Amino acid sequence: MIERVLVPIDGSEMADKALEYALEVYGDAEITVLFVAGEPSPMMWKALSVAMDEGIGEAAQDHAEEIFKDAREMAAEYDVEIDTAVEMGSPAKQIVEHAEDFDAVVIGSHGGDLQSRLFVGNVAERVFKRSPVPVTVVR
Amino acid sequence: MVSVLLLVGILAAVFVGFNVGGSTTGPAFGPAVGADAISKTGAAALMTLFFFVGAWTIGRNVVETLGGDLVTDATVFTPEASIGVLFFIGLGLLVGNLFGVPASTSMTAVGSIAGLALAGDALAWSVMGEIATWWIVSPFIGFWMSLIIGRYFYARLNRMVAMERSEGPLVELDRSGAVPKPVPNGSTSRRELLGVITVVAIGCLMAFSSGTSNIANAIAPLVGSDQLEMNPAILIGGAAVGIGTFTIARRTLETMGNDLTELPLTAAIVVATVSATLVIFLSAIGIPASFVVIATMCIIGLGWGRATRPVTVPEAVRGEEEPPVSVDALAEDEPGEELPPIGEEDPEHVPSAADLFDPATTARVVLMQNLVPLISTIGAYLAFRFVPIFGL
Repeated sequence: MIERVLVPIDGSEMADKALEYALEVYGDAEITVLFVAGEPSPMMWKALSVAMDEGIGEAAQDHAEEIFKDAREMAAEYDVEIDTAVEMGSPAKQIVEHAEDFDAVVIGSHGGDLQSRLFVGNVAERVFKRSPVPVTVVR
Repeated sequence: MVSVLLLVGILAAVFVGFNVGGSTTGPAFGPAVGADAISKTGAAALMTLFFFVGAWTIGRNVVETLGGDLVTDATVFTPEASIGVLFFIGLGLLVGNLFGVPASTSMTAVGSIAGLALAGDALAWSVMGEIATWWIVSPFIGFWMSLIIGRYFYARLNRMVAMERSEGPLVELDRSGAVPKPVPNGSTSRRELLGVITVVAIGCLMAFSSGTSNIANAIAPLVGSDQLEMNPAILIGGAAVGIGTFTIARRTLETMGNDLTELPLTAAIVVATVSATLVIFLSAIGIPASFVVIATMCIIGLGWGRATRPVTVPEAVRGEEEPPVSVDALAEDEPGEELPPIGEEDPEHVPSAADLFDPATTARVVLMQNLVPLISTIGAYLAFRFVPIFGL
């Protein structure tokens, strides 16, 4: 029985598709969306903008809130309440660490362009390889 | 025939300079334009001026290294080969801009010339080694300096810089006297004026440092091959940079200005000052510096220094007013049961700033920044070695 589902999101179209799929298939389960703030970027501006804030946790939360808002709206269409979680740093690593507390992970196949591929890497692939729980990759 | 080749060479140099102007204005004056301290045209004018001053004074040292010391035999710089080198530098810039992968123009230039020298069996390995050593050492110096600033001085600096922009133009022209002179607008505070002067001054410092290290990338092959004298070459290169700042830089300023506003102003100032100073120092001793890598390591150092300062848990966790409930506790609830709202953070997963700059992430980013220079080095070597049109 799948009771807890983790859906990592980054505001991209593929992440939206993953969340949609999770809401459709695991609508009865406890769905948590995870956003990883301050991901590696060409000159690490994103990470620094989180790190330099007075309360780093709050800064990460601020970055995440916009994306969570969209996710909550999407969940409301399915009459599902979702939980949210924020992490910071390397997306693949944080998602895998988080996955331990869940029964399944639903993730979009890729979020970004060549630039994020180069600097962040293929997150879905790494989560797929290293996750301790079953992973559904939504294409 | 030679004059046609010279013309093509100059055009290639102008193309490189044009791109340097376009890509450097954003990082240098993005914060100033973003804070409405100066107009885009003003930024372009200051960029051109200070780039030229940097190129004319200190930049020639780097031109001498790239166009002379790096090769044991200057005859490898045939007119055709000079154009080839500029082609590879320009290509590297283009690829970097196209894919949003920041690449150091200086590293690309050194790589292209080293590729040429290798193919012509004329690489001065001692000079190459010296340059490579500085490329490894200088980012660490930047990292360490920024780390110290981030850990011990940032909070104080932040209070000093705190800049609130008031409505209306910053200064007004007082036309009551014979000569109109700018006076602070009534709503402009002294502190605000100081902040604005600081961001503009730092833009000028960055422009100056870019001039010291980047002029060589555009003109070194032409000066090395004796097709151009040093001074006219610097004039041509500076003019090309100027064209870039007044045209394509307007667009990079827009995107950069927006990107950089996400970054606290104080952080941008620290990174810019430390990296620009290092670049100027390296240029003064004739070493082509890699601004992109130095700046990135400064960013990481600053973030790291900031991350290692003591953080109390309430500071790091938001939603502390709600009792934190761990995800494990939720597992005991029956499925379908109405669940209480949980605190946003699982206490075991309190985000730590150290996660932002872990070694693997850092290594990957710096590695990617070396991709373009590496490709142009190999490309240049293969082209000069096996394509028999360069007169080697």
